[in-house]
Amino acid sequence: MYSNNYKILQIIISLLIVFMISTLAACAGGATPTEQAPPPEAAEEQAEPAQEEEVQAPSTEGAELSLLLISHPFVDSLEPLIPEFEKETGIKVNLEVLAEQPGFEKILSDLSSGTGTYDLFMTDPLHNWQYASGGWLEPLDGYLDDPNLTDAVAYDVDDFFPGIWGAGKWNLEPMTGIGEGQLWAVPINYETYLLAYRPSILASQGVEIPKTYDDVLDAAIKLTYVDEDGQEVYGVITRFDKYWDLPYLTFGTMLQSYGVEMIDEEGNLGICTPESIAATELFIDIISQGSPEGAGAFTWYEALQGFASGQYAMSLDEADLFAPVYENPEESQVSDDVGYALTPLGPDGGRLAGAWIWQMSMNSASENKEAAWQFLQWLTSKDTLVKTHLGGNMNPVRLSSWEDPDVSAMVEAWGETPGQYREVVSEMAKVAGIRFPPHPELTRWLDRWAEAIQQSYFDGGNVEENLCAAQADIEKMMGE
Amino acid sequence: MTELRLRHSFQHNFPYKPILMISNSKHSARSLTARLSDDKFQYYLMFLPALILLVGIMYPFITGVYISFTNEKLYLPTVEFIGFGNYVNLISDRVFQQSVVTVIKYTLLVLVIQIPLGFAVAILLDETSPLQKFFRSSVVLPLLIPPIIAGLMWKTMMQPEAGVINWALQSIGLPAFSWLSNPKTALFSIVIIDTWVFMPFAALILLAGLQSVSHEIIEASKIDGASTWQILRFVKLPWMTPYILLVMVFRVADSLKTFELIYPTTRGGPLNATRVMHVLGYEEAFRWANMGRAMAIIFMLWLISYIVSNRLVKTWEKSSEETKGEF
Repeated sequence: MYSNNYKILQIIISLLIVFMISTLAACAGGATPTEQAPPPEAAEEQAEPAQEEEVQAPSTEGAELSLLLISHPFVDSLEPLIPEFEKETGIKVNLEVLAEQPGFEKILSDLSSGTGTYDLFMTDPLHNWQYASGGWLEPLDGYLDDPNLTDAVAYDVDDFFPGIWGAGKWNLEPMTGIGEGQLWAVPINYETYLLAYRPSILASQGVEIPKTYDDVLDAAIKLTYVDEDGQEVYGVITRFDKYWDLPYLTFGTMLQSYGVEMIDEEGNLGICTPESIAATELFIDIISQGSPEGAGAFTWYEALQGFASGQYAMSLDEADLFAPVYENPEESQVSDDVGYALTPLGPDGGRLAGAWIWQMSMNSASENKEAAWQFLQWLTSKDTLVKTHLGGNMNPVRLSSWEDPDVSAMVEAWGETPGQYREVVSEMAKVAGIRFPPHPELTRWLDRWAEAIQQSYFDGGNVEENLCAAQADIEKMMGE
Repeated sequence: MTELRLRHSFQHNFPYKPILMISNSKHSARSLTARLSDDKFQYYLMFLPALILLVGIMYPFITGVYISFTNEKLYLPTVEFIGFGNYVNLISDRVFQQSVVTVIKYTLLVLVIQIPLGFAVAILLDETSPLQKFFRSSVVLPLLIPPIIAGLMWKTMMQPEAGVINWALQSIGLPAFSWLSNPKTALFSIVIIDTWVFMPFAALILLAGLQSVSHEIIEASKIDGASTWQILRFVKLPWMTPYILLVMVFRVADSLKTFELIYPTTRGGPLNATRVMHVLGYEEAFRWANMGRAMAIIFMLWLISYIVSNRLVKTWEKSSEETKGEF
């Protein structure tokens, strides 16, 4: 009897192994992300019949949307407006808000699983180059062009700043084609980089507003001192962690002003060029001499809170985004003592700046696409965006928002002198841009670059060696 | 010896011994007894949980191992089998090598700090005192806090500028410390947090060991004139070896796959100072979408953990038998 049982056991185990192997083979052969989520073209084809066959927009009342948002002043400005949308449309909106890094990790995990947990999520061009490559984003052109779904006159695409709107488009060809192809996202704000400063501290120490990065170093040294109350004041604060945003945004603004291009037109990497080495050495000097010891791990959250706490004389960061916090006496110690200036010039007198555009995208696995589009349309409409800007979501992405009397009156008061903020932001907008190749693995390459910069800071030298090692690694990654 | 006896009977008689015990029960209902006496029915009943476990554990495991032999990237439409490609690349990868060294360093630090400290706490808790009940219940409080929350709590306290720990140090005239912000001190700072959370676990196991020492032997030692120190050194400590090994079995496995304290505090940084294998594997998967490499890292972590734990369990079993033989 026992031997019979063993035979049965053997048969069951054999069947189990066959089942597992066959499932594995199926997994290896075809369970790919593109099969789980339809490719963009297919998604577009799926969306098209809706445009042609539907005469009336499908009812979305009673639908429930799930949004994954990144903790940001935009979210604070949006939350009070949600009930208004829910009342108007009968669509229920659930928000989940996470810090930036865990948020991006969760988005990737959800999108790649194809479960469609989130209908809409906060994103940016850099991440969308990966998401669009995976077929996880719903192309929005079909919704935008469908008169049953979009009132083109009221929505007024031409009112968006063309460069900012275009950043939501990509033709899926790696290393080229930003602004071409399908629309993967709509913008909700944009950030560029400013120098924020404390006029009273600069005046008390006899320091002029820095014009170049060498001036920043001199000022940072002079502005690091202990005040009469025994409090330590530091010269400068900026984000500085091992993260892709370091060479892409804040320090990226300095690198670009030094003429550094990650990849030039011939395809050569510019990470360990003399300009890049010079900029990195000076940047590390600025941080080492003008920031506290913990500066090696500052994210933008810490940079924002640090300057608002009044402990720093200058901030090299997206002060345009932070301005609503700096200027709010309930959240800031410096609300009556903050000024804004253009980012410093590079050694040849050039000034360029990075740009960050927060966008909203739709999950291609969403089961509530019409309702999701309705929300996107409402969110990025002229009226709603103005309300978010008045609630602290900066900077506007529509011309009409910038010119809105209430928004104008709000920003007019910001800065050391009336109109200073608006003038500086308008000037910076002329030189801000995305000067990186669109590629699904760009964040990985930039992470490696950021590591080399941080390594140089912690090692106290070897900038050239570190940057050249990073360049070699990135070249290898690009070849994989 | 209870656990050893059970293990032996399990090995020699599985699956029939437990079944015979059930069917011999006098209190079973007639029909149920009849059914349970049916060897085949019992056999399949016992087999079912094993089957579920086999599928539930082995299927994802084997799938993961298979993925480690592919170039799977989450956003790519095609997946190719590349054999040991990921493993070969990783072995020569500087960051991976560093992550292996870091996790070994972390594990050793955990053991070197937590076992003596846990032993000291266990000795204190073993002493009779009116406040003993309070101490015994309060010492385990950190174990009740989720590690992620503990990590966030300590991150706030360890802030170099605004943290309460540096404030306390400075208020007694000591210099501020960089804690989690400096690559030189970050790993050690996380070991401190780990110790705060998990040292009570070591203390509890070791306390159980101390309390299982036979009172007759201790009494006999006292009559022979042994001092407290001599009783600890020559009576209690040899008896404690299997308990120390048991703490090692748990803490080594936990420390090798540590993640929950690093993720909320440093996320592997600054630089790569706390980027242990588990964190690196997570980043490969959910930051860079590279599942093939991620699974290769996780599989190698499992292999290291399995080999070390297996060795420790065998040593513990041997030590348990030897210790019981001595007394």
